[in-house]
Amino acid sequence: MNTEKGHPTRDELLAMAYVDGELADQARAELEARLAAEPELGRQIAAYRKLDLLGRAQAPPEPMDHEWRRLARDGVQRAGLGLGWSLVFVAGLGLLGWAVWAVATDPELELTPKLLIGGALLGASLLFLATLRARLRTLPYDPYTEVER
Amino acid sequence: MIIVTCDTVPGREIAETFGLVRGNAVRARHIGKDIGALFKNIVGGEIPEYTKLLAEVREQALDRMCAEARARGADAVVCLRFASAEISTGAAEILAYGTAVKLVEHPTR
Repeated sequence: MNTEKGHPTRDELLAMAYVDGELADQARAELEARLAAEPELGRQIAAYRKLDLLGRAQAPPEPMDHEWRRLARDGVQRAGLGLGWSLVFVAGLGLLGWAVWAVATDPELELTPKLLIGGALLGASLLFLATLRARLRTLPYDPYTEVER
Repeated sequence: MIIVTCDTVPGREIAETFGLVRGNAVRARHIGKDIGALFKNIVGGEIPEYTKLLAEVREQALDRMCAEARARGADAVVCLRFASAEISTGAAEILAYGTAVKLVEHPTR
């Protein structure tokens, strides 16, 4: 991130000034024009914004926070949550697979409704995957995920 | 940028008013957090999943409002207000709005 001497680069200084709202109109417009072609610059701005947000949203810890953290490390709690989520996930997938299999092999159902159900499921899966892909691609530019309260 | 909920800033005078500035955001947490929140809803107590969700939306809405104020040449926002609405289950919307102004030092100081 920094140069060898430990000083911020010109782009880092620009990104900091951008996040702090200190750039003049023309400099701001020039920087925003570069964002389309330079994803690394966008990530740098998001990182500075995340830092700014952390400072702004810094709240004194509450007694309950310590208890939440202690519970997160607790073996029984972790085992219960892990097993619960695993069962829900595996059984849910299994149930979905079974339902698809039951519909596909049902001798009383004609081919047309089978194709329609299959198409709807495939379409929904594609929509979900596209949405998930978009979220994962934009996640590095989302500084708000670090805000706690 | 100075942001206040009152209509003046002590020690400063409003030199110029740029009008209403606002920023809104709608966010959701993933379904795993919603399921976790559902169980906490049954047993009671704070639901940190939703506390965090609202905090994220609030900060994003504030940032958008400040960006608009800066773009208009303001250095402060007075009369800040928040409004919220439920767009869909599990999603939160917050609107932050206020009046963008340019401040100068109070002449008597």
